[in-house]
Amino acid sequence: MPLDKNVYKALEGIVGPEHISDDPAILDSYAWTTRVQNMEIRDGEVRLNKFARRFEAVLLPADTLEVQAIVKLCNRKQIKIRTFSTGFIAGNVPSGERVILLDLRRMNRIIEIDEQNMLAVVEPYVIGAQLQAELMKRGLIANVTGAGSHTSALPLAAFWGTGHMGQTVSNGERNLLAVEWVTPEGETVRIGSLGAIGEYFCGDGPGFSLRGVLRGAITPMGGMGIYTKAATKVYHWPGPTEFPIEGTSPNYAPSAIPENFMIRYFSFSTKERLQEAICKIGEAEIAFELMGFPVSMMAANIATGNEEEVRLLADLRKAVKGPGFVVIIVGNSRREFEYKKKVLERIVDETEGRSLEMIEDERVGGALLWRLIRITASIRETFRATGEHTGIFPGHSELGPIYRLTSRIADLKQDLIAKGLLLDDGAEPFPWTEEHGSMAHAEVLIRYRSSPQTLQGIQWLNEESIRLCLEEPAGVPFFVRGDRLHGIFGPSASNYHVWLRRLKKAFDPNGVCDPLDYISPEEGQNS
Amino acid sequence: MALADYIRDMETCCRCSLCKFIPMEMVKGYKYVSICPSIERYQFHAYSGGGRLNVALSLIQGRTQYSERLLHIIYNCQLCGGCDVSCKYAMDMEVLEPLLHFRIRAVEDGYVHPALQEAIEDLRKTGRMVRGKRADVGRWIEQFDLKDASKGSVEILYHFGCRTLYDERMWKVALAAINLFKKAGINVGVFREEVCCGGRACKMGFREESLAQARRFLEGLRISRAKILVTACAECYHAFSVLYVKLGVPLEARIVHLTEFLAGLLESKELRAKGTINKAVTYHDPCHLGRLGEPFGGWTGREIEGHIRLFDPPRVFRRGTYGVYDPPRKVLGMIPGLRLLEMPRRKEYAWCCGAGGGVKESNPDFALWTANRRIEEAISTGAEAIVTSCPGCELNFRDALSRSGIGLEVYDVAEILNDVV
Repeated sequence: MPLDKNVYKALEGIVGPEHISDDPAILDSYAWTTRVQNMEIRDGEVRLNKFARRFEAVLLPADTLEVQAIVKLCNRKQIKIRTFSTGFIAGNVPSGERVILLDLRRMNRIIEIDEQNMLAVVEPYVIGAQLQAELMKRGLIANVTGAGSHTSALPLAAFWGTGHMGQTVSNGERNLLAVEWVTPEGETVRIGSLGAIGEYFCGDGPGFSLRGVLRGAITPMGGMGIYTKAATKVYHWPGPTEFPIEGTSPNYAPSAIPENFMIRYFSFSTKERLQEAICKIGEAEIAFELMGFPVSMMAANIATGNEEEVRLLADLRKAVKGPGFVVIIVGNSRREFEYKKKVLERIVDETEGRSLEMIEDERVGGALLWRLIRITASIRETFRATGEHTGIFPGHSELGPIYRLTSRIADLKQDLIAKGLLLDDGAEPFPWTEEHGSMAHAEVLIRYRSSPQTLQGIQWLNEESIRLCLEEPAGVPFFVRGDRLHGIFGPSASNYHVWLRRLKKAFDPNGVCDPLDYISPEEGQNS
Repeated sequence: MALADYIRDMETCCRCSLCKFIPMEMVKGYKYVSICPSIERYQFHAYSGGGRLNVALSLIQGRTQYSERLLHIIYNCQLCGGCDVSCKYAMDMEVLEPLLHFRIRAVEDGYVHPALQEAIEDLRKTGRMVRGKRADVGRWIEQFDLKDASKGSVEILYHFGCRTLYDERMWKVALAAINLFKKAGINVGVFREEVCCGGRACKMGFREESLAQARRFLEGLRISRAKILVTACAECYHAFSVLYVKLGVPLEARIVHLTEFLAGLLESKELRAKGTINKAVTYHDPCHLGRLGEPFGGWTGREIEGHIRLFDPPRVFRRGTYGVYDPPRKVLGMIPGLRLLEMPRRKEYAWCCGAGGGVKESNPDFALWTANRRIEEAISTGAEAIVTSCPGCELNFRDALSRSGIGLEVYDVAEILNDVV
């Protein structure tokens, strides 16, 4: 049911006629989604149906005041809202009729970089690359979400906000400081030190913290109001103010690897040896970055096209002993760098790791080094091969359980590969640890070209993964969104879903923020 | 090829938004990260490369119909190819080609922008799309003892391009080029009545007219017997070296942009820069010479069945890697005293001047808006002048500067070199 003309006019009055549209062409560009859930099988034919249901209108608010006015109006008129920043992967599917979309791309300012207190404040459409580049000029660096540096730098935008540099810069959940939040009722709340004294350095208090309301392990995906500004912790960057990249796309490579930087890829004979090495590196606190990329992801990352990727993967499979990881070592001084290198060498000796010669090459290694710090190859790794991608993303736990769990999921993936239903890129999970500890996350990457059989296979894999995640508890998985999945996992985790639902009801009494990827105020509303 | 032939490409869009930004590896700060004038100006996703693919697919599927907004989306794009380069950093899919065919489809379906209709009517009636007083090439032939290409036996044919010949402001570039040839002892041939290359007609969506122009040009080239075709116009260069291959009428002559030719002459010392220019300049890469100007050998084949997107024979995606980037910089680098200050967005990820894709005709304000962003970027380098190698870019910069009153000088590479040779 389209929006009433008066409602449209009122919304137009808030953002201006240039920044609202209900034209089908505009709406369909926003309806395009890569969510596997939106694919369906009809009459034996797979319908990609990558066009989801249209929103009633799309709005481009310029600032917090406009966002607030829109939310208040929607409360009065019983209209639901979805919101996204850069809009990658999820967030652009309405749960039903009378849902409008707020595209926050005009809210794109870096509000502040506070070098002394080591924090940065951004609006939702500042991308990771922008913030990182500005921080590097100041000898600082922040987390870039693993989705890539083309996505939002807001520490509340991604599911969990984990990225490749988690060893050094942690993740979005942990980095979140003060937030400016337009609640589902349209109040602007400034949490933490921002509300108390107008500064962003702390996300908690005064009084009880609201951070746990704003987000849990993963963000509410627009289901709990709109975050219009947020501060993130930033960290020390011992590298150059500008990385010395040369060449022409896609063949970018540094003119030289910066002093006191090193990148290596090590493979191991068994998963146990790999885990041992990861844990020892964590204990020694020597890695700037460590990602347990299987060779398939290395090939995808390095290759500039699919033909090259296929060739490279074949070569890499021959060159490695087994599972492996890529590690970046960085020193604040020559002495520290040499120390870290020696420790790494010893750990690799003890665990009988093998260095991949190709990465020792300055040109190849240097280019990879920059891609992994800037995080530029996520799309190469996920979507390039087939144009379609999904993944199984369990939660956050000790390396042992999470690796065991994802390895079991990967075995299931292997079954589908054997049936020809998925791209044969190996069936290895990719784990990584954070903050030099053994807390880890791991994922299983799935690439395929849709067919009825493939989609049925993926549905089966999803359901089996849910079963395994309950069987081998390793935290609530990151793929848990919506009522059904919260209902499955809640009882295994202190009935958190009951509380989540109560929070949703209390903060969003009129049900304005679309709960599709969060939780409904009433059970069974959105399954 | 038609729009429907790109369905698989359109379906491959993963909505990552890389098409909106310069390649992530080259982001050097908060500013100058956008690659697409259209999304930057009109903001809605439909105005990005990926968004347009979504809308085109929606049209093919019958989900949307032609509307004022849809036509606004189709025509307010310079087809500069920035989105294509940024996407293909990561992906194996076509972006620019379906965008062009989206426009061609609109024209074929009868939805032509009135300003572009007027331009194409001009082409049909007069053989050119540019209005204005034509340079007296015949007089130049006599004055500079040039060869008349229509009489044949020409080794090197020099093609001025319509935007040079029909705009008095650009005649100095034509004369600079002639002078440089003369000083190097090269006797080029020119046509008294040049044929429009047809490149802009194609970008406006008129493929048949473009093909007709290509055939006319081909005939002229045959008569001239030229083995080398030199042009100072980036759009003509692109038409000769890329578009004609796509249209199935490849030229047999070697196609060289004037900056490539001049760089060669300087390297071989057939030309020497003697004077000095004490000036800080920045260089603007024209889209058609840079990212769109990389050689194209053509490809025909089929996608192989299977999960991964592979082709038989292997398909080389054009990613802007091998465009003409270095020759103009070499020329500028060999001018004593001249300091080249690079803009943040350059080479394959340069911001478009705004004039391309028929936008100068269909939405001149948007063309100037785009130019103004480039001018601001040029000024941020500390340069006193912006130098380029395309008359379309130069004229659009001049128009923007004359309207804003900003005191940035504008030159063509040939013009600035001519001052010191």
